[in-house]
This record gives sequence, C-alpha cells and structure tokens, in this order.
Amino acid sequence: MSAAETGLGPTPLQDVRAEMLKGAQSLAVAAPPSQERGITSDLSVDEALLLHAAGWEPLDLVTGVAVVSVPVGVWNWGRGSISMASDAHDAAVDQASRLLRGECSKVHGHGVVGVRVEVTVNPHHIDVELVGTAVRPMGGKDSTGRGTDAALAMPFVSDLSARDFTLLQRAGWVPVGLAFGASFVYAPRRTAGTAIKQKSQNVELTNYTEAMYSARESAMEKMQRSALEAGGQGVVEVKVTEGPMRFARHAIGFTAWGTAVSLVAETHQFVEPQVVLPLDDAVVTFDAESLRSSSQGKRRKR
Amino acid sequence: MAIGDEPAAGSPPPDAVTTTAGGPGGDLPEAAVRRLEADSFSSGLSVPDFAACLDLGLQPVALVQGFCVMQWGWYGPNSGTMGGMSPYIGGQQTPGAYSETYRCPHGFVSNEHRSWGQNLEQPWVEDAWAHGYHTAYGRMLEEAGTLGAHGVIGVLDRVSSVADSGTTEFHFLGTAVTVDGGPPPAGGVPWSTYLAGQRLTKSIEAGFMPIAVVAALASVRVWAYCMTEYYMEGSMGGWGNNMGPALVEQVSKAHMASRQLARKHVRAQLAGDELHGAMIDVVTRELSAGDEVIDCTLRGNRVRRFKDWDPIVLPRPTVRLS
Amino acid sequence: MIEETPSPSTAAPTEVPADVPADVPARAPAPLSRDLPKDAAHRLEELEHGLFTSDLSVNEFLLVKEAGFHPLGFVMGSSIYHIGLQTRKWGQSQELTKLTEAMYTARELAMTRMEEEAQELGADGVVGVRLDVNYYEWGSDSAEFIAFGTAVKAEDGTSYRNVQGKPFTSDLSGQDFWTLMQTGHVPQGLVMGTCVFHIAHRKFTQALGSMGQNVELPNFTQALYEARELAMTRMQDEATELQASGIVGVRLEEKSHQWGSHTIEFLALGTAVTKRSGEVTLPKPTTIISLDN
Repeated sequence: MSAAETGLGPTPLQDVRAEMLKGAQSLAVAAPPSQERGITSDLSVDEALLLHAAGWEPLDLVTGVAVVSVPVGVWNWGRGSISMASDAHDAAVDQASRLLRGECSKVHGHGVVGVRVEVTVNPHHIDVELVGTAVRPMGGKDSTGRGTDAALAMPFVSDLSARDFTLLQRAGWVPVGLAFGASFVYAPRRTAGTAIKQKSQNVELTNYTEAMYSARESAMEKMQRSALEAGGQGVVEVKVTEGPMRFARHAIGFTAWGTAVSLVAETHQFVEPQVVLPLDDAVVTFDAESLRSSSQGKRRKR
Repeated sequence: MAIGDEPAAGSPPPDAVTTTAGGPGGDLPEAAVRRLEADSFSSGLSVPDFAACLDLGLQPVALVQGFCVMQWGWYGPNSGTMGGMSPYIGGQQTPGAYSETYRCPHGFVSNEHRSWGQNLEQPWVEDAWAHGYHTAYGRMLEEAGTLGAHGVIGVLDRVSSVADSGTTEFHFLGTAVTVDGGPPPAGGVPWSTYLAGQRLTKSIEAGFMPIAVVAALASVRVWAYCMTEYYMEGSMGGWGNNMGPALVEQVSKAHMASRQLARKHVRAQLAGDELHGAMIDVVTRELSAGDEVIDCTLRGNRVRRFKDWDPIVLPRPTVRLS
Repeated sequence: MIEETPSPSTAAPTEVPADVPADVPARAPAPLSRDLPKDAAHRLEELEHGLFTSDLSVNEFLLVKEAGFHPLGFVMGSSIYHIGLQTRKWGQSQELTKLTEAMYTARELAMTRMEEEAQELGADGVVGVRLDVNYYEWGSDSAEFIAFGTAVKAEDGTSYRNVQGKPFTSDLSGQDFWTLMQTGHVPQGLVMGTCVFHIAHRKFTQALGSMGQNVELPNFTQALYEARELAMTRMQDEATELQASGIVGVRLEEKSHQWGSHTIEFLALGTAVTKRSGEVTLPKPTTIISLDN
C-alpha cells in the first residue's frame, strides 16, 4: 500500500451492528423487482466509496477487444525496426479503445476508470483486451470543464484506479485518455570477427546500444504523441516494458503506457498531507536484510 | 472475496454426487447431514474476519459447502454422436441467441475453401454451466438453511474443468451465519456474499445489503470463414495485395459478444439490483486456425441499497513515516 | 548508423593483488559524452514544448508538486556493454578489478546519458532513479545497463543543480523526496561504489579440517569484509566529490550476475545530500494506531 493513504475514520461499533440488522430486516420484506437497469461494477468497496465522495458514480462494466493479424514472415530475422508489428499493435489498441468508449457512451458515461490492459502478442495476431468501469458525475452534470456533450462524445479512458482518479480530481487534474506506444526491433548481430576481438575487452557494444535505445525512445515518443492527440498536458504513471517475444527471441518489443492528464482547475490544488507516525511496531528491530536487495530489482514502494 | 482463507480442518468431502440432481431440496449427501448435526461450529474465516464478523453482530454457525459435477461436450442441441459438426447441418441457431454470419468475397474457389462462417452463441453450454453452478450453490444454501442460518459470508466458488474427460466440477464453500436479533430470511433461502470481514463491514456501512452471489457464462463459438482463417494463420499473401496488419473482424466481434452476453445474462438475474465486485474470466480454446470457443464468465455480489447514504467527506491524505 | 568500433577502457588493468587488496585501483576517466540517438532528441524536443511525462505514481506526483517541483519528463539512458574475461586464481580471494571497472563504466554510461537527457530538458534533477541490468540470450557476457527516472524542475525558478552544475540524481521515491525537502536537505546525486570480488575455493584439506565444527572462516570473513568496505568507501568518495554532508538511503546489493557463485559484485548505492536551509518544515506527525493487517 502506498505511503500516501486515505484512511477512513474509525467506526463506532454500535452503529455498524444496527446497520447490519437493518439490512437483514429489509430483505425479509420482499421488494418488488425494480425497473432499473442494474449497474455492474468491478470497483472495490473502498473505490466505490471514494468515487462517491468525489461526486461520481459507477455505471457499468465496459470492455473493448480487438484482434489484429500480423502477416507471416514479420518475425523472421532482419535488421532495424519491425514496423509492421508496431502498426498492428497500435491498430489493435486503437480499435479496442474505440469499442470501449462506444460501450461507455451507450450507458451515458463520461469516462472509464480502472482499465485493465492485456496485450498478447502471438506469432500471427496481436490481441488487446481492455476492461474497466464507466463512470459519470452524479446526476450527469459535467464537472471537468469540458461540457457534457463533449464528455459524452469522447469519454476519457484511463488505467488509473478509481482511488487515484479521485486524488487527481481533488488536485484539479483530470485524465483525458490512455497514452500508449509500442515499437519492435530485431536484435542486431555482431560479425564473427568482431565478436572474437571483443571477447577479452570491456567494451560498449555501440550498435546494440543504438538499436535498443532507439527502439525504446520510439515507443516513448509514440506514447507522447498519443497523449498530445488526446489533448493531454502530461502523462503520469508511465510504465515501460521490454522483452523478447517468447516465440521469436531475436525480436524485442518495447511498450510504453500511461494516463494522459490535463489541468482543469485554475492552478494545481495542493493536497497538504498530514504526516502520521504509526505505532504498530512496538519494538524497532534492525533488520540486516533490509540493507540488501535481491539481485532482480525490487519494486520500490509506492 | 475471502481468498486464502483455509477451510477448517476436518470437514469431510461430500460423497459422490450424481450429475443430474432433482434440484435443491432433500438431496444432500448423508455425510453432510451428519456433519451439520454436530454442535460446535467451524468456519472458514480468518481471525480478523472472524472478529469483524462478530462486530457486525453475525454469529458463525458452520462451514457449509455445495458440490456438483456436470458433463457436456461441444455438441449442438440435437446432441448425439455428431459432435463438433459445422453449422451447415442441422440449423443449430437457437432463437434469441447471438449469431452472426460471414460470407466469403471470392466466389467459388474449391471445395476446401471455407466460403461461409459464423459466430454462434452456444446456449446449451451456457445452460449446462448455469445448472451445475446453481445446483452446487443451492446445495450450499440448503445446508445453511437446515441450520437456521440467515446468511452465508466469505463464499469461495471454484469451477474446474477436466478438458479431456469433458467434466466440470462446481464447488462452493462459505461460512453460515445468523444475524443477532435478525429475522429469518425471506423464502427460507439465506442471503450470501463473497465478502467477509472489514470489506463486508464497509459495504454495509455504505448502505448495501448483500442478497446473493450471481454468475453467468457466455459461450461463443467461432466457425471461421476463409478470410478469418487466412488472417489468423498469417497467410494473407496469396489473397490480395494487402500485406499489412488487418483487423480480424469475426474474432474481435465474437470476443466483444461474449463479454456483452455475459453481462446480459447476469443482468437478467439482478432484477434491478446492483452487481458489485464483478470479476471477469475469459478462456479461449483454439481448435484450429480461426476456429475457437470463447468462454466468458462474469461473477459478482448482487446487492440492494437499504438506506440512503451521505457521501463520506473525502479524508485528508496522509504521508506515513515508517 | 554508428560503426562498430570498440572503445576500450583506458585504464590498464592493475596487477592481481594479494588476497587482501591494498590499494583502490585507479578508475577510468569519465566516459566521453556522446550525442544522444536522434529518436531521443526528437522526443525531448516534444517535452520541451510543454508536455510532461513521468513514471511517478499519482501519490508521488502529488507529493513532488507539494515539494514545489514539477515533473518535466521521463528520462533514460542505456548502454549495452560487453564484459571481458578476467583470469583469476582459483585459490585466492581477490578483487577482479577488470570486472569492477566494467560494471562501473557501464552504469556510468547509462547514468550519464540519462543526465544528458535531463540537462536537455533544463531540469534541476531526476527523482526515482532506477538502475537495471538486463541479460539477453543473444549476447553472452553482454548486458544492457539501463538508468531511468523522472526529471523535475523547481516551480519558483531557483536552481537546485548540484555543485558541478548538473541536475541532481537520486533514487528517492516521490514520498522520500518530499520528506527530505521538508527536513531542509536537498539531494546532490546518486552515488555508487562497486567491487567485484572473487571468493577463493577452499582447499580440500582445509575443508576437511573444519568439517563438523562451528567455526568462523577467517579468510572468508576478511575477504568479504574488505570487499564491502571497498564498495562503501568508493561510494563515499563520490559523495565527497559532490561536497555532500551525508548519504541517505544506502543500499548494499550483492549480485552474482552471470559469473557463478564464487564471484560477487558488491554495489553500494545511496543519495548524497546537503543541508540547504536551517529550518525543518516537517509538520509534527500525528500518531495513529492502525488496526489493519
């Protein structure tokens, strides 16, 4: 759990018992089936409460799925970037986002939060699945400054959790869209002669570096461009992944993802956090292990 | 969901259960009846969940479970020995179910050329799954009911398929509870929820009463036509100068349909109530290039608001010095 | 497309020292800064036109703003480095200076490029720096060293660059950065010291002699102690160069990379800081007792 938390206050026990009893009693009286559509939401209880406190409500679970084919031979050994694969990846994400926004609009949502993104690269096709919860300001009135019509026409899509969405809102920022970029590149080869010459030396492999550096920057650049296209002023929570394809290990894929955000308040609203000192650990122990980390980069605490 | 809670030791598995039960009502195995007659309670709750449960005025009564094994293949509604036949034969469309047809743009090519394809919802699979799921669920609720419980919390549901033998097991586990001073449940069927502990407390505080666990399966079969087949095996080269990436419309549509259908089936069970904590699981079985079966399961807690609630004041963020 | 000319490290490898290394071997001079790849330049240009990117979480983003800074861009640097062979005596515990050299140079290359990107953006510093080492199957004995973080700039225009006039680097998270600034300290730079050490295989008779006993192995103790001290001393030297008053968040990592279990790299990492203002503005903390798990 991150260090900046939003803690709910302590609960008076008496109240909660009474509430439970009240709830159970309400069921004993069989209610007539409602004519309401019935919302489905994958938000956790905490998220639902925070969203509500921020004046937004969940509407429905929405999804977008796209499968884009990649012609055979794309992964065969070559040089430079594999533009066909990048194009396929971008097309799949675009289409899936479009479908997701379409479902959101159908239920009159202003945007989708907590989007789970799953990209699977197969030898002949790239599949992208997006799942999230469509939300809107309570009562349907737009509070982001874009105007209700604009919001309905172009709902935002964001992989921020409902909790992060609420925090950002409070500070005067709103998500405007998913920013993403991908690039695929062939691993460069060394000639045999060079390989032998370099065996005993500490040396930088400049053309390798160049190729990987380029590909990574290319993915980042595409991400930036998509953020600008969505009308964002910045991108938060950028995640960069890289790795060889499991079915073609000489081909490396880079992706960069984040949420494009925009300031809608006059200025950034400072949060003025309260500093707390938890007294959970009664005895402070010196743990030698804490000075050491495992060799495979530990995820630092957020 | 109280994942990770271990059931209390000593709860015996039910005896072998036949596939077709007569429905909930008197078909609990002998062993279950004996176990439930014992005096002391067992519960699947962890210690913090147990404490929270008592705080809510809920008394754990017993660990309850329900079980059912179903068998089905990929046969059509006129099932027999002709499993897996193409939609050419038998006109297998069920009225009201989703289906979409695709025609080849090439004109006659050869007998092997797949000039006709279809996305088909498979209601016989969905119904069989629903039957197995709700039978097992019903048995768990029945066990709770015989003990006079008002509700079941911390429900764990497990659906496991043994693909080769074509059988699927449905197993439910939960902790039956009574509400201090509360009324017996309407219709004699206890309410139930995946939640337990602090999360249940928050949900109640927010004004939502759990009613039931709701789940549905949407199963969509893709019979690929020529274009889909070529796209999915990457061999578009022979069929046009379009050598670039292309959206595989048939498969994409089938995926979208599976998720929409799952939501539709679940909504039909909600009767206007809300579904919280939805979980989506998708399993795709590829049978050959382009031919696949997409099974999408949607599960969640059906809840109903029992009081209006004022939104909590957004708490002040904190930074912890640790 | 740059041609493949090797750029060997310019320091000649020192002779193999006795099993307790006496001197700190001379380090190679700072690697020549190269032009950034053109894709990088283009991307940074876009950032200078007002778009910011950051890999900060929302929590960190808010706290960085709270500290009076604004994120400029996600910056990174990488270098694919081939690590040469180094012969070693089987029975002697010693520092493998050539490997130390390589690990240090490779990381410095990556860090320098990241700093250049930050400089290009006009940043005051980089927070949340992470150093990763990736191994790919197609390059034996080569690894990719990557450094990345988020470049930030003070909103009120005061310069927070370090004594060398370069943007500071630090591996502090957004939360730690805010807390540090509240105590009146500012980061100067990410400092590191590394030492690649070979641990002697024990002679058969030695092993036999102590079999079954609870006994300290003085040679091992001495060797590993020296190796860690070397790494930490080198780290402190870097802090001294930055005229820092202290180092926070020191981490001591031990990795075998691809060399087998008798060769270990000791890496000491920390953030060098100096005191900027006299007052501590950290608000008085509230004590809470959390009843959650």
